[in-house]
Amino acid sequence: MSLKNIIFTRLRNFAPASIYCYDCVLLKHHFSTVSDSKKADSEEKLSGFAKSLLKFSESNDTPQTKTFASLLRNSKFIDLGDPKNKIVEGTIYHIVNDDLYIDFGWKFHCVCPRPAKRGTEYVRGATVKLRVNDLELSSRFLGATKDLTLLEADCTLLGIVNSPARQ
Amino acid sequence: MTLFILRSLGSRARTAISEFSYERSRRSRLSTKPNVREEGLKSETDIETYLDPLKHPDYFKVHELFTISDLFEARVHYGHKIGSLNEYMKPYIFGSRQDHLIFDLDITARHLRQALNFTAHIAYQGGIILFISRNAQMAHTVETTALDCKEFAHTRYWRGGIFTNSQCIFGATTRLPDLCIFLNTLNNILTQHTAVVEAAKMNIPSVGIVDTNCNPLLLTYPVPGNDDTPCAIELYCKLFKEAILRGKEHRQKDIDQ
Repeated sequence: MSLKNIIFTRLRNFAPASIYCYDCVLLKHHFSTVSDSKKADSEEKLSGFAKSLLKFSESNDTPQTKTFASLLRNSKFIDLGDPKNKIVEGTIYHIVNDDLYIDFGWKFHCVCPRPAKRGTEYVRGATVKLRVNDLELSSRFLGATKDLTLLEADCTLLGIVNSPARQ
Repeated sequence: MTLFILRSLGSRARTAISEFSYERSRRSRLSTKPNVREEGLKSETDIETYLDPLKHPDYFKVHELFTISDLFEARVHYGHKIGSLNEYMKPYIFGSRQDHLIFDLDITARHLRQALNFTAHIAYQGGIILFISRNAQMAHTVETTALDCKEFAHTRYWRGGIFTNSQCIFGATTRLPDLCIFLNTLNNILTQHTAVVEAAKMNIPSVGIVDTNCNPLLLTYPVPGNDDTPCAIELYCKLFKEAILRGKEHRQKDIDQ
């Protein structure tokens, strides 16, 4: 019984969803045959694999661990890897004439010039696609001990994803 | 006199009596109050000490104001690049990813809880709180936060000597703030805010959000975290405002009783 439990939990964590569903279907089939034969019993006594499967399928699916380390490990930032030349999606939150201030979920925003093509669609609230060049414009200047930051990211504007000006 | 009696007796009796007298004197040195955990609150004095705000670890329940997930979603864990790291911030860093530093939110949460608890206590005692920030983008947010909790904010150019030379600057004896909350401790990338030094000189406690390029040493309650992203600063403002309002609410309740 215990060994089956261990195997089941391992499968549940690492196997693709299709296997889990297949097991579920098998179990349901088993239940239906049992209930047909014993009409008097409303609750069957489960044991072994069936019992553990029912227990896990009924349990509330809480996120595995909510520690900071796990949140970070499963975050989009870690998924990004080396940020150079990665494509991200951002939202325009401020416009000054032809400068678009875009927030893409990082510590800093980026500022991009308004493109000539479909320029009027770039309004506040529009979602755009960006290619990241540098997540923070900071470099060590000659003679300095610390880096000097511009508090800005550097991205290239690729195009619009969705714009409120289109409707 | 007890020593004379002990000497005149036999050795066994002496040890027994000395143990007995030691026990009694030890017991008399102990508090006469019953142990709260075992016997429960018996007298009125016990209840008072237990409900004394200063003795309670979290009298205003500020620990419930945020979770680590909230901090994570507000992007509090993002730091600058390694090149601009202040060496005194190293204990608060979880690590670096592609040269970008990440704060350890467990440590941040601990510091933030202490800071919020302290802020609530200052508000409870009727202290003046001053919000300071030199981030032009968030100046309005900080000022509205101060307005909402009926405290004060200074988000403009800080003239040197406002605390240390207040008599001269304001023309009269001024009551200085009882707490300074720094939403960012830097004026620009290169210089620290003068008020950090002035508050330390005038013995004014300070709570401050310190990023990876900031110096946490002169602050009483440094809170390591992101001070550049608007959503992070909005979260801090919300938390401090809530802590202050709770402190004031309790103060009003105690005054009314």
